[in-house]
Amino acid sequence: MTTPQPPAAAAPGDRAPQYVYGVIRADAELPADVAGLDDRPVSLVRDGGACAAVVSDLPADRPLGERADLVAHQRVLNALVDAGTVVLPFRFGAALADRDAVEKELLAGNSERLGQVLDGLDGRVELRLKATYVQDEVLGEIMAAEPEIAELSRRLREVPADAADAVYYDRIRLGELIAQAMERRREHDGRVLLDAAAPAAEAFARKTPAREEDVLDASFLVRADRRDRFEQAVDELGRAHGDRIRIRVIGPLPPYDFVPEA
Amino acid sequence: MTGPIAQQTAGSNQVQRGRSGSSLADVVDLILEKGLVIDVYARVSLVGIEILTVDVRIVVASVDTYLRFAEAVNRLDIAHDGTSQGLPQFVEGMQESGAKKKTRGALEGAQERLKETFGGDSDDSEEEKQPARRRSSRKKEDEEE
Repeated sequence: MTTPQPPAAAAPGDRAPQYVYGVIRADAELPADVAGLDDRPVSLVRDGGACAAVVSDLPADRPLGERADLVAHQRVLNALVDAGTVVLPFRFGAALADRDAVEKELLAGNSERLGQVLDGLDGRVELRLKATYVQDEVLGEIMAAEPEIAELSRRLREVPADAADAVYYDRIRLGELIAQAMERRREHDGRVLLDAAAPAAEAFARKTPAREEDVLDASFLVRADRRDRFEQAVDELGRAHGDRIRIRVIGPLPPYDFVPEA
Repeated sequence: MTGPIAQQTAGSNQVQRGRSGSSLADVVDLILEKGLVIDVYARVSLVGIEILTVDVRIVVASVDTYLRFAEAVNRLDIAHDGTSQGLPQFVEGMQESGAKKKTRGALEGAQERLKETFGGDSDDSEEEKQPARRRSSRKKEDEEE
């Protein structure tokens, strides 16, 4: 923390380091009673330009990174999304020396560019779709379709429990074959889900699924007035594939996946 | 509500909807890895984030996943084998679920850690996977018990 230059007429609180949650339009309002980090009040910093920064005092006596800090970050941004306010979410952990620095270093000179990003996101929400195989269903499919795996599984089942150590690596091999078979299925099924959901969205960002049994993890930028269509498309997917693929929709979220990378 | 018809009805809309607030695990990767990086625009400090990111990464070893699949498919075989729905099969199923519990211990341990850290449903683990030798050796100890 550097010592800020004493501003001409600053209230004492203006000198505190500021945590930045995101940027909204200068004419937008904060939702009432949104608590930030350590339940500190959230406020706006404006510089007279197109944008305002959503900030609160940064806890100075400890490092950030506890669960509550992430929750607070998300809570502030969610409140804006819920109020229908277009927001440019910042990645967790952004802080500036004081309110003056937020105004002069972040907003001044960037307002126009940030404003353009906000225009592009206005009236849109991020919805994240996560799809996972119903394990027993997909295992059943794999066993029925892949004789090599079924045979290995049958052989291992006949091994008595006290000899389990001797076939430890065979069991790993069996699991590996299953994982590979699942991945082959995922390519197809993930594409089917994506192709069905994407037309109802303006953009999508596909993520690398975390686990073998995950079919699809993708975020969609959806226009608020077309959200029904998107939800319908997902419902149809649920009806068509729900017996073997569990689908979840998370959101609406701040448009994390659709802010410019640089 | 347990008849096949009821189940079918429930299955007609399988889509689960949730909000991020109740489950940080579903959005933690976004908070940490997405969103605008402000140092592109301004001179800033990113506070505490390095430590946090390391803590968050729950690495699920491939070996654990493979053993879990092997166990699950074994369980599945048994369930599909018997034509009778009688007591013996039921008992066998109980034993299997006991074994499953043991084998999955390590994985669930990791998920619980995530849950502890972030609360809510810990479905997503981590996009990166590395072979975790520590974990697999612990696994072997489990089996030798």
